Amino acid sequence: MRAIKELGLVRIDDRLIHGQVIAVWCKHRKFTRIVIVDDGVAADSFMVEVLGLAAPPDLRVDAFSVEDGVRALNEDTSNWDTTMVLMKTPLAAKQLYDGGLEYSALNVGGIGSGPGRRNIFKNIAASEEEIATLKYLMGKGVEITLFTVPGEKSKSFSALVSKL
Amino acid sequence: MINIVLVSHADLGDALIRAAEMIAGQAEGLYSISLLPGESPESFGEKLEATLQGIESQETLVLIDLFGGTPYTAAARQTLKENVECVTGANLPMLLELVMARDDATLSELAMETARVGQESVKNLGPMLRK
Repeated sequence: MRAIKELGLVRIDDRLIHGQVIAVWCKHRKFTRIVIVDDGVAADSFMVEVLGLAAPPDLRVDAFSVEDGVRALNEDTSNWDTTMVLMKTPLAAKQLYDGGLEYSALNVGGIGSGPGRRNIFKNIAASEEEIATLKYLMGKGVEITLFTVPGEKSKSFSALVSKL
Repeated sequence: MINIVLVSHADLGDALIRAAEMIAGQAEGLYSISLLPGESPESFGEKLEATLQGIESQETLVLIDLFGGTPYTAAARQTLKENVECVTGANLPMLLELVMARDDATLSELAMETARVGQESVKNLGPMLRK
């Protein structure tokens, strides 16, 4: 079932909380909560503290495993429109979607280069597998756009996909 | 001697070292690790780890450019080590203080002093000079 309420932002960014997210996104739009969905971070209480310390005091930061993230987000939809969901990889975005969090829009904001990855738009890189994962989500009707910060020129994944 | 490792976006760390050496003369034990555009946090973390391993067993102060940025996220865990302190907000007065005071201070004193110098180095000149 598609949720009636929409999440404020569902974003893939392997840096999770960093300057662009806090200094640009959170000034551009009102967010009350950041939900990090990452199995590794969720299991690392020190890293949760490090990431939370960087956020303004009025912004609640939680980190969940994929499984717990789906449950926690679906459990309480009251602040969805001011909630930012952050994940590191397209795989996590797929797991979240398949797990039952049916978001309609996905922002690809940052995937760093690395072995097996090539640049697909500006400084955003992806592996063949990650491109296939994004195509899968596109096929589910998720509107995927690539840009790091609001106001910057964005690229729709559907327009990009034929050239990949 | 306490080592100083700058962790920064792009080549800010290299430039700060060049600027500090221009003022205080050539200094040893200065390292700079740059987060490059499009570089993954993992790759940056590995570079930091490799540098710190190279100077292991020595006391190290990690000077981070931006509180909340990726270099901060990658370096923050180092504070759990007994011989490492991390300070954010890197600027030239802080690096100069580090270079000049590191032989006469303990690592934790140096970290506190560096943070203080950084905070006091920012001035809004208008109200001070337009009287």
